[in-house]
Amino acid sequence: MTGKSLSGTTAVAVAGILVAFLMAAGCLGGQSSDTPGSQQITVTGSTTVLPIAEKAREAFEESHASTGIMVSGGGSSVGVKAAGEGTADIGTSSRDLKPEETAGYPDLVKHHIADDAILLIVNPGNAVDRLALDEVRGIYNGTYTNWNQVGGPDAQIVVVGRDSASGTREFFSEYVLKNEDFVKTQEEFNSNGGIQQKISQTPGAIGYVGLGYTEGVKALALDVNGTAVEPTLEKITSKQYPISRPLFMLTNGEPDGLARQYLDFVMSGEGQQIVASLDYIPVQG
Amino acid sequence: MKKEQAAPVPFQGFGRPGVGTDPTSAGAKRQLVDRIVGKLLFFVALFAIVTVFFIIVFLIRDGYQIVLETGLWNFLAGQDWNPAGQNPAYGVLPLIVGTILVTALAMAIAIPLSIGSAVFIAEIAAARTKAAIKPAIELLAGIPSVVYGFFGLILLTDWIRIAFDQPSGSSWLAGSILLAVMAIPTITSVAEDAISSVPREFREGSLALGATRWQTVRNVVVPGALPGISAAIILGMGRAIGETMAVLMVTGNAAVIPDPITDVFSPVRTLTGTLGIEMGEVAFGSTHYHALFGVAVVLLFITLAINSASRIVISRIQGPQGTARPTAHRALVAAASRIAHAVSAPFGGVVSPRTSQRCAFFLISLSVVIVLAALGMILFGIVVNGAGAISWEFLTGSPRDLGRAGGIFPAIVGTFYLVGGGLAIALPLGIATAIYLIEYTAETPLTRSIRAAVDLLNGTPSIVFGLFGFAFLVIFLNFGISLIAGQITLGLMILPTIIRTTEESLRSIPGSLREGSYALGATKWQTISRVVLPPALPGILTGAILSIGRAAGETAPIMFTAAIFSSRYLPSSLSEPVMALPYHLFVLTTSVPGASVQSYGTALVLLLLVLVIYLAAILIRRRYNRAKVM
Repeated sequence: MTGKSLSGTTAVAVAGILVAFLMAAGCLGGQSSDTPGSQQITVTGSTTVLPIAEKAREAFEESHASTGIMVSGGGSSVGVKAAGEGTADIGTSSRDLKPEETAGYPDLVKHHIADDAILLIVNPGNAVDRLALDEVRGIYNGTYTNWNQVGGPDAQIVVVGRDSASGTREFFSEYVLKNEDFVKTQEEFNSNGGIQQKISQTPGAIGYVGLGYTEGVKALALDVNGTAVEPTLEKITSKQYPISRPLFMLTNGEPDGLARQYLDFVMSGEGQQIVASLDYIPVQG
Repeated sequence: MKKEQAAPVPFQGFGRPGVGTDPTSAGAKRQLVDRIVGKLLFFVALFAIVTVFFIIVFLIRDGYQIVLETGLWNFLAGQDWNPAGQNPAYGVLPLIVGTILVTALAMAIAIPLSIGSAVFIAEIAAARTKAAIKPAIELLAGIPSVVYGFFGLILLTDWIRIAFDQPSGSSWLAGSILLAVMAIPTITSVAEDAISSVPREFREGSLALGATRWQTVRNVVVPGALPGISAAIILGMGRAIGETMAVLMVTGNAAVIPDPITDVFSPVRTLTGTLGIEMGEVAFGSTHYHALFGVAVVLLFITLAINSASRIVISRIQGPQGTARPTAHRALVAAASRIAHAVSAPFGGVVSPRTSQRCAFFLISLSVVIVLAALGMILFGIVVNGAGAISWEFLTGSPRDLGRAGGIFPAIVGTFYLVGGGLAIALPLGIATAIYLIEYTAETPLTRSIRAAVDLLNGTPSIVFGLFGFAFLVIFLNFGISLIAGQITLGLMILPTIIRTTEESLRSIPGSLREGSYALGATKWQTISRVVLPPALPGILTGAILSIGRAAGETAPIMFTAAIFSSRYLPSSLSEPVMALPYHLFVLTTSVPGASVQSYGTALVLLLLVLVIYLAAILIRRRYNRAKVM
């Protein structure tokens, strides 16, 4: 009998907690009903393009109060796939379409919205501050393993790069490495932030990141025909700094409605100002 | 006098309506209910198998392509994983070796510490200490893996680099330490339940025979709880093998086999890490994509192998319980005691039982101190760094400037939705499956396969659930990135934990209780619902608590199925995507420079949220336990 009444108490308590839990969720959810406007689009894909898409959304929604734009990451391939399959209205990509993607989704339209520079970064304590592209290639293919081989102190080079599905790595591999294999001991991270963090606390490390990730690390100048070119906005825009690549937004067919307005906004003067403010290279103006 | 006696009689009748009194219509109805419930439970249990087959079919469907393209041997035994090279290579051997090494070392660290902690909590600690430590350790399970990864990246790898004078701290060792810390709460909590459920008479009998407390613990209590402890270890190992986010942030992810193989400072790459860092940006339908699904299948088979091995071990231990022990076990015990004697020889012959007890209790207490210190360090870091970010706007606003400003309200609500939905799916299914397995079946090939399926599902890494959710729910069923897809994925993920822990706690109910109930004429379902389930509730709640902690903090299963980085609005239907705290934290820490205050703040909110849920459940359990003693 004691067991019976106790089990009843406990069961009621459990049920109470569950109900309270669901009710809490329900109450909180109630607030959503007043907001979504008549039009909604989703933007998904490359983590490199994510900041642009997100900032542009904020600015765009200020002037278009009733619209809803949902932005998410996932990667360039998610962006291509989502746009191609129609699960998202706009896909984003930090690389060009691959042959199988062009074949699978022939209607995809590419919108070149910005350029992104790739910086080589080292720890601030590293004496090296310029490298030639050949030296960079030597480091990444395993020819050079010690900093004293490229004019630095006697310390082992810790090679850090992006994961093998990354658009950034693909570009780096083609442009800098001429498609040679990366050294096998290369440490890999799946984000610019991860690489930046790693480099900032590892004295012997070298890595490559997008333009916005320079806090706590030192960006190297590149030797171009004997002169060191610093990765400044000016030198990158004028293409003197040699490593940059295009960023895309993709739509299945020509966009219309809200997607069209949003893309137009990204390409407008205001949109491209946002691009510049986020340390990417504008394509217009 | 007459009045006092009259009162309980109708109440008793209410408590057990008509048991054994009217065998006619009410009896037939009860039989019918009994049969229906039995059938219902059977179909629910079957669902676990169907799910596993679905997951396997979908992974293999996409994964077998790689075997066609490269050949089975080249895939499994290939030394190079270089999918992006000029001559792409898809050899997973370094990844398999990496996974095994990281997990093995992690378990070597975690098992002694967790079993020590479990023994301390169950056998040594005073009631008040126990009431404080157990929830504290369970709280460790609620810390999201991405927070561990963040900590590992900032503190652990740096410490290893400096302390051992290595060029880089990202290493096998870092991954193992982190995984050990993550597996400890799971193992400790479940093992403690198993130890606590060893009948008190065993201890009293042993103590009455003159054994010391340590001798009782070592020779009576722990052997008696061995099946439960083994289950705890499997659960912990499942978590360690399947961990993605934390591991990929600290192991360096270089696809090399350590040279020499014992070099714990070598960077390594695990199977899960490979999926975690490469899945997001791989081109769909490409060879690389198929290779990643191949990796997922390999992961599944490793899980299967480990589970099968563990099941054999458990059944060996469990089988002859009460009678003779298996010879291997006896030899092991004999060897251990000989070693103990040999070691103690220099200290003047055999160590007295009292000294050995002091020694053992010291080591056990030390393990608790280590575990709590790890907890304290991580909590301290989160609270100190995160408190500054918490404000009214942070809690109730929408994110602005990529999460560097504004708040995280949509993410908080989104997490509630995801966890609540997952729990609503998994709790009824899980408890029903466990009841069916324990109460309705003898050991048959069917139940064995259900149990094997559950174990397989349990060991299945969360990222594999993510891949499955994406391939099946998002693409095949065309749900899109949506709340419902995330809820189902999370529900499937926590289902095995709930089944496993419910099973354990049902199993710990003595058979005599059931027999007593049957003897009084109760039907099966009456026995289960009124005699077996009530005392099993604390154990079931532990399972639910651990599941909530896990579901709330997981990033891998929702990042391809439900989560978006930002939305002004809360979802108004199940088909819309949501923001979620762990995913928000992941994006903040890895992709948004200059948002470390907000990421600590998000981590703190996530922790507090989990803490509140835990507290509610722990209070229920405490209340129940106290009542039971009375």
